[in-house]
Amino acid sequence: MVKRGQGAESALIGFSWLAALFVPTVLCAMVGFLVVRAWPSWGAPLFFGDTPALAALTGRAPVFDGIWPACVGTLSLIGLASLIAIPLGVATGVFLAEYAGRRTRMAFSLAVDLLAGVPSIVVGLFGFALILLLRRTFAPDANTGLLLSALCLAVLALPYLINATRLTLETLPAGLRLAGFGLGLTRWQVVSRLLLPASLRGVSGGVVLAVARAAEDTAAILLTGVVANAGMPGSLTGKYEALPFHIYYLAAEYQTPAELAQAFGSALVLLCLTGTLFVVARVFQRRLHRTWSGMEVAAWR
Amino acid sequence: MRPKEPCDRRGADRLPSALLCGAACVSAALVFSIFAFLAAFSWPVLSGGQLGSLLSWHWRPLAGEFGILPMVVGSLCLAGSAMAVAYPLALGVCCFVHGCGPAWAARPLFVSIRFMTSVPTVVYGLVSVFLLVPVIRGAFSGSGFSWLAAALVLAVLVLPTVVLIIDTQFQAVRAEVRVAAAAVGLAPSQEMRHLVLPLSRRGLAIAAVLGFGRALGDTLIPLMLAGNAPRVPGSLLDSLRTLTAHIALVVATDSHSAAYNSLFACGLILFLATLCVNLGVLSVRGRRLG
Amino acid sequence: MNGMNWMGRESAAALRTVSRMGRLAASAACIALYCSAATGAGLDAFAGKKGTLDIAGGTAHIPVMKEAAKRIMQANPEIRITVGAGGSGVGVQKVGEGLIHIGNTGRPLSDEEIAKYGLKSFAFAIDGVAAAVHPKNPVSNLTPAQVQDIFAGKITNWKTVGGADAAIHLYTRDEASGTREVFWEKLLKKGSIVEAANVVASNGAMKSAVSGDPGAIGYVSIGHIDETIKAPTLDGVAPTQDNARSGKYPIVRNLYMNTKGAPQGLTAAFIDYIMGPEGVKITADAGYLPLSR
Repeated sequence: MVKRGQGAESALIGFSWLAALFVPTVLCAMVGFLVVRAWPSWGAPLFFGDTPALAALTGRAPVFDGIWPACVGTLSLIGLASLIAIPLGVATGVFLAEYAGRRTRMAFSLAVDLLAGVPSIVVGLFGFALILLLRRTFAPDANTGLLLSALCLAVLALPYLINATRLTLETLPAGLRLAGFGLGLTRWQVVSRLLLPASLRGVSGGVVLAVARAAEDTAAILLTGVVANAGMPGSLTGKYEALPFHIYYLAAEYQTPAELAQAFGSALVLLCLTGTLFVVARVFQRRLHRTWSGMEVAAWR
Repeated sequence: MRPKEPCDRRGADRLPSALLCGAACVSAALVFSIFAFLAAFSWPVLSGGQLGSLLSWHWRPLAGEFGILPMVVGSLCLAGSAMAVAYPLALGVCCFVHGCGPAWAARPLFVSIRFMTSVPTVVYGLVSVFLLVPVIRGAFSGSGFSWLAAALVLAVLVLPTVVLIIDTQFQAVRAEVRVAAAAVGLAPSQEMRHLVLPLSRRGLAIAAVLGFGRALGDTLIPLMLAGNAPRVPGSLLDSLRTLTAHIALVVATDSHSAAYNSLFACGLILFLATLCVNLGVLSVRGRRLG
Repeated sequence: MNGMNWMGRESAAALRTVSRMGRLAASAACIALYCSAATGAGLDAFAGKKGTLDIAGGTAHIPVMKEAAKRIMQANPEIRITVGAGGSGVGVQKVGEGLIHIGNTGRPLSDEEIAKYGLKSFAFAIDGVAAAVHPKNPVSNLTPAQVQDIFAGKITNWKTVGGADAAIHLYTRDEASGTREVFWEKLLKKGSIVEAANVVASNGAMKSAVSGDPGAIGYVSIGHIDETIKAPTLDGVAPTQDNARSGKYPIVRNLYMNTKGAPQGLTAAFIDYIMGPEGVKITADAGYLPLSR
């Protein structure tokens, strides 16, 4: 009996080693393969094609055969989605953490969890249906484009923001609130003057993670206005290019080895972007952890 | 818990609290409007005589057949198999981090897992098309674009999600049992097997359900790797089409045909699946409270 | 006014021989000339214009559209031209709904589509559709019957058609594809395509899928054939644009640009450019037979 038990435990240890080795193997294989394949294309032409870099950066000359328009498209998407999602998400998080009663909070949490679970292609379909409805009713000229995609990405990022805000506020020491009320502050004053500044880092971490989520999504924008060739994003309602879609498009449709190398180059650029956001988010959260050390800071998704 | 604020000060507070409440209502309303849109747009299919056509086994729009059952089965097969690979791996990783592996390795491993959450799906897809698919094509028969390829990559994709949920649970359980386990002289692996794993059943179930939901909802991996043939796969090497990939492939066809309306039915099915996943999680949580 | 509608209706029969198609092409060009208001054909026509032109649909058209867009936007940065994909069905639907300005199709419009949306077609090139295999595949000739049997799933091993002893991997396009429709109608004679076939979303995707799979067979627009894929001869006739022109290779179709109502402004200028001398050269360089004025 004892021996059999020990056997099971060695099996458990052996298997855990196997699983633990699997993760770095996969990561190294992926990043290594990406770097090796992206290497031939790396350089200014990857971004700007045959357009001079300075002229492209200042917007004086259009860029062809380069991924600069896709980079700008992705950055515009991130910016717009943040503009929509951050105020809404942080406000909702604050409401759930500080204002809502127990029952309200449970109901809203269910809605937020549900929103977090909705597949991004379904959110894209929602955006597409929204445009169809607008066209059939009071805005016959409504069209898929940058703003609609940003709206869909905001919907995807929203649950991350809400949960990050809420969890950060809930991990703040109760003494902070007591002190605030003790000074005769109203709830809003406590929230705006004490709790939000104290939780700034945690919320910022959540914001950055949500932004990374918006930057990488492909399925939602696939249905809401991204195209393969559009040049620089021109207007809120115009079609645009974006990095994740560009990669998807080239992976399926490359005509020449150079185009395939560009796909890998774009993938490396996107990975660097999301990787940077990831590191920034970690820095924010670890500082928060240090500030309120001794407290359990929630595990971030 | 939250301290109560003095009642007499509430008047000055109305505007901000109304605004916050409004924001929360907008956020919650989003979920319902997504549901309402999907339901409204798939209503012509669901209410009309086309429901039978929808729930059939053949997708041949040119012949007027719009069956989406092969895609439903495809989604379930793919998500299930991906979880069958990812779940044991995630469990292994969590055991490793919580005592079965050396302490020096736990931290870098966990950081890698968190880093994996930030890797874009399309990057996994791109690398797999040119790294994994040729390997599968060489090792077995078939084109390589298959259930197997998609399941393996999808497993990698959902792995961090499952690990993070299980890890949260393990942390909570170990905080309670660590001292007791050390006091009776249990080795970390014994503590894991006899205490942590049995006590974590709830978190383990939640991780399985949420991981399954995540696998079910992914679009890019099946779209790029599974071959997209609209039929029920006969083996792991066959190509299959999921509901998500189906939406991406068909979204742009003629907007007045049944093919088009059936898209929203696919979306509705995915939404309801999400709902089931959440209710599942809720019932697992609720059982412990009750 | 409705000349192109006639073309759509008659096209299935009319395209059967290329000698007749030549006449058709001439009429198409005449009608296009008649319809368009602008007279300049080169880049000069875009001077002083600005605005956005959205193009989507047929994927065989993309190389031509991209090159034309590039030249126009380089000459006049005030103009934005976006080129999306999707397939012919997408082109029809989006232009019909007014979501884009030009919807490309690799097949004639159906009566129903013309009636529903009030579309006008401009044929600018002739293209063939050919079965394609991996360049290392020893099979260099197929009969129509063999191709039909392969896609119907009756022949599943390359050995049967004189190749290596290896399984055949089928690749097909989604239902929005004009290339699929032409291939299915004219070569497969509306026979079945097995459901087990892998589905790809564009000509480009077909090309990259077939070029990466030694056991593959698919079908692409002739303009997409290069050294990375091989097109077996059909009954001894090589699927080249020359054979398509002379009528020896029968699986041909026109490539169309479609607009909702008569094109105006930038849209008209773009169509003129494609049909003009520079556009003809771009079309020919992309591997298609231009239908010039």
